[in-house]
Amino acid sequence: MAINNEALQQQLINDLLIESFDGLDRFDREMLTLEKGEGQPDTLNIVFRVIHTIKGTAGCIGLGKIESVAHVGESLLSLLRDDKLKLSPPMITALLEYSDALKDMLRCLEKTGHQGDKDYSALLEKLKNLQAGEPLPAEKPAEEQCWGLFEDEPVATAPATPAPAVVEKTIVVDAAARATTSVSDTAIRVDVGQLDKLMNLVGELVLARNQIVQFTGKSTEPTLLNAAQRLNILTTELQESVMKTRMQPIGNIWAKFPRIVRDVSQELGKQIKLVMEGQETELDRTIIEAIKDPLTHIIRNSIDHGVEKPEVRTAANKPAEGLLILRAFHEGGQVNIEIMDDGQGINVARVKQKALEKNLITPDQAAGFSDREVFNLIFLPGFSTAEKVTNVSGRGVGMDVVKTNIEKIGGSVDIFSEAGQGTTLKIKIPLTLAIIPALIVTSGGERFAIPQVNLLELVRLEGEQARKGIELLYGAPVYRLRGHLLPLVYLNRELKLEQSADEKNSGDVQIVVLQADGRQFGMVVNEINDTEEIVVKPLGKQLKGISCFAGATIMGDGKVALILDVLGLAQLAKVISETRDRALTEKPEEQTRADDRQTLLLFNAGENSRLAIPLSMVARLEEFPLKDIERAGDQDVVQYRGQILPLIQISQFLSQAEPAAQQDPMQVVVYSEAGRSVGLVVTKINDIVEETLAIKRDAPRRGIAGSAVIQDKVTDLLDVPGIIRAADPDFYREPKKENP
Amino acid sequence: MGKSIMSVDDSSTMRRMVSFTLKSAGYDVIEASDGAEALNLLKSRAVDLVISDINMPNLDGIELTRKLRSLPSFIRTPIILLTTESDPGKKAEGRAAGATGWIVKPFNQEQLLAVVAKVVPN
Amino acid sequence: MSQTSKQYCTFFLNGLFFGVEVLNVQEVLRYQQMTHVPLAPATVQGLINLRGQIVTAIDLRHRLELPARVSGELPMNVVVRSEDGAISLLVDEIGDVVEIEDDVFEAPPETLRGVARDLIKGVYKLKERLLLVLDTERTVNLSGVTALAKEQNN
Repeated sequence: MAINNEALQQQLINDLLIESFDGLDRFDREMLTLEKGEGQPDTLNIVFRVIHTIKGTAGCIGLGKIESVAHVGESLLSLLRDDKLKLSPPMITALLEYSDALKDMLRCLEKTGHQGDKDYSALLEKLKNLQAGEPLPAEKPAEEQCWGLFEDEPVATAPATPAPAVVEKTIVVDAAARATTSVSDTAIRVDVGQLDKLMNLVGELVLARNQIVQFTGKSTEPTLLNAAQRLNILTTELQESVMKTRMQPIGNIWAKFPRIVRDVSQELGKQIKLVMEGQETELDRTIIEAIKDPLTHIIRNSIDHGVEKPEVRTAANKPAEGLLILRAFHEGGQVNIEIMDDGQGINVARVKQKALEKNLITPDQAAGFSDREVFNLIFLPGFSTAEKVTNVSGRGVGMDVVKTNIEKIGGSVDIFSEAGQGTTLKIKIPLTLAIIPALIVTSGGERFAIPQVNLLELVRLEGEQARKGIELLYGAPVYRLRGHLLPLVYLNRELKLEQSADEKNSGDVQIVVLQADGRQFGMVVNEINDTEEIVVKPLGKQLKGISCFAGATIMGDGKVALILDVLGLAQLAKVISETRDRALTEKPEEQTRADDRQTLLLFNAGENSRLAIPLSMVARLEEFPLKDIERAGDQDVVQYRGQILPLIQISQFLSQAEPAAQQDPMQVVVYSEAGRSVGLVVTKINDIVEETLAIKRDAPRRGIAGSAVIQDKVTDLLDVPGIIRAADPDFYREPKKENP
Repeated sequence: MGKSIMSVDDSSTMRRMVSFTLKSAGYDVIEASDGAEALNLLKSRAVDLVISDINMPNLDGIELTRKLRSLPSFIRTPIILLTTESDPGKKAEGRAAGATGWIVKPFNQEQLLAVVAKVVPN
Repeated sequence: MSQTSKQYCTFFLNGLFFGVEVLNVQEVLRYQQMTHVPLAPATVQGLINLRGQIVTAIDLRHRLELPARVSGELPMNVVVRSEDGAISLLVDEIGDVVEIEDDVFEAPPETLRGVARDLIKGVYKLKERLLLVLDTERTVNLSGVTALAKEQNN
């Protein structure tokens, strides 16, 4: 070991890792420009210098293996740089492989502290052979002396002024230097740990500021108020400045993409041009880290599934070379990232078929889906349209993981596609995570913080309104918010908190209207306090399993408050079901837009006075005298148009206390699908209406697909496929033999 | 007060190693990440020794040596170049440009201190 | 200092005398106000604000399956360092820091049952009493405990 100070050695290794990973990314990028024939005169010198630096540095800190591997590439590169060899495509491939090998060793060093014992001799042999007879320079200096002074040497020349021959070159270099020194003059490298520490300190300062501002609020002393005011402003400015120092251009993670695009498209025999716009768009470094893998996956996916092979593209009158565009920009306090390809687009029919095969959706759902809903199916867990699992995108991670990871940091993903034209993924993510605005609420005597991004509005019900405003739908509380049904969640019940007597006696109801995953629900709390900037702190691993908390924060009074994870809470309360149908729902604004006028059949069944099904599902309405009803096994049936029509008592499949009384004649709604029919027995047919439907998928209830306000009354929509499946599990599964 | 030394290297790892070693031995160290930055800094202050890498972006070690030698205050300031075995020709170039001595990479802390002690005894 | 002696930070819990290695202890604090964490495993008593750091407090009596503390008696905090950062162990009372020779150390007796068997590294036979040495890393690892709590809920 060349360094005898352990802490220093570790520091040096850390420096070497950062510097070398950066360098090798640059190496890859420059190799790709050389491959395209777009290299500048200096490009070879740049790639040479990367390897040269790694070698020299590794040697100095006693990393002999990395040094000797670097040596082999350096000698090939020095021959290329000095024009003694011409760069060939196999050389580029070998040099990229070589860059991977170095990264490999560095990663091993990073993880284990050792250089690893992987054998790179085959690769090194390949590089040596590429030198085509040019001798490999000696690995160790021939001279024994490793340092010296020129004056001690026999043929000493006096220190000289520059030789005239090089003046011209000097000027050129000088000009280049002037043009590029600006960054090194004004920028310094700072350890990321130092920035994190600074951020934490600012977080503490924000808390102390909150405390002081809260305290001085009670004071009337003008000097104190002025000082507090100044402290308030300065803290905010400081916070913003420190957050800025943590910002990194998104280009830092994009730097790897040209290489990935090259490798993947080569592997798949595709030609792809990658265009990147907005590399300078800045994001907090924690977010940069979090989106790295999802983005990589999306890009692999676009190349694998999106862009067609050259011959297919030519046949479709498209240029043989596909286009992949990465674009980033700021908009409304968020960062937008778009990944566009001009490939074949998403095949709606194939996606539907796949989802049906995998039982992710019902045939009925499939028929009613808009294209957009179909696109969102690819975000369902376990979905993959690839005919065969390739080693490019079929690595067990699906788009569902991409979506989850982006949502974890408060972002969203949207997908747009047009057959034959291409696919666009739009990602929106927040700028920073560390300090967020939040609403503080109280429930069961405890304070909780709700991230402002999830907050839509606050509703306060008083007196009469509080008693009557909340209606129960099969025990599930709802509130009518401007004609829409808002499912309600009582925070204290979900968190199993005791209510104090005061809270119990309070007549008013406070509803926080929240949005998670594009769906709205109301959360009933005891008290709504203030909005505050809070510093998000992680919870220890002992509490990681509780999905309804996103972290904790310290309040102005020094006490800890938990931060609610709105999506986790919604899932806990079952106002949003688990991932399965999450991707199927649209955002609320789209929901209103996507509303369509539907003709509905309204009827009752037993206790349920307001039920509806789309008339399009109804084949006929019939009345059968009770004497015609027969039993086959445990199933009521009736002979109907030369077939046996099984009868289903709807009331049995709804959560009803009493079975519906038998009527004579029996009212039956005949439902047909794929050549098979069933009769749904109802109590009374009420009406047929044409309505603009805003369907709410709220808490799942037996036999009910959702609810809607129809003719100003809450009406449940019957889940016909679900009921049929429950009554006759084989109805959908049987081969469609009877289908002509 | 300790003698001041400027360490010029585009590798921050190397700069850290050089400057830690020299500071532990009681020298003051100023760092620059390439020749151009070094030249800029040295226009406004003098040092007792410059230790510079050769292969750097913007302005390499040989050019830096030449330019420093053309400045009146740097005619006699010792300049040590970090060479590598793969560039034997560079040693001669460095000598022609006016460097005082050389040290071959990789080197260790003792070797670095030995050459520095010889040129600028603290 | 003898090579075979170690320093322990000691505390009392239900009349038993416990110790954790001083190296693992970040600090010792009097009672701190705690924020209750709904739905958390019962062993987690709450969260405390340790100079801006949020620290999970573990009820050591509950963790070691000892009888619950009499209400009104305020626990003290022994803040230990773990892989996951600082964790506070709630104890009845803090004892002295003691230095003990290794030769009075013994593995836990076979008769030690239940969770204590997993969490107690061994026993020092001191003149007046026995000192039970706690394995802090295992004590703060609740992965098994959480799973159990879930099973019971189902």
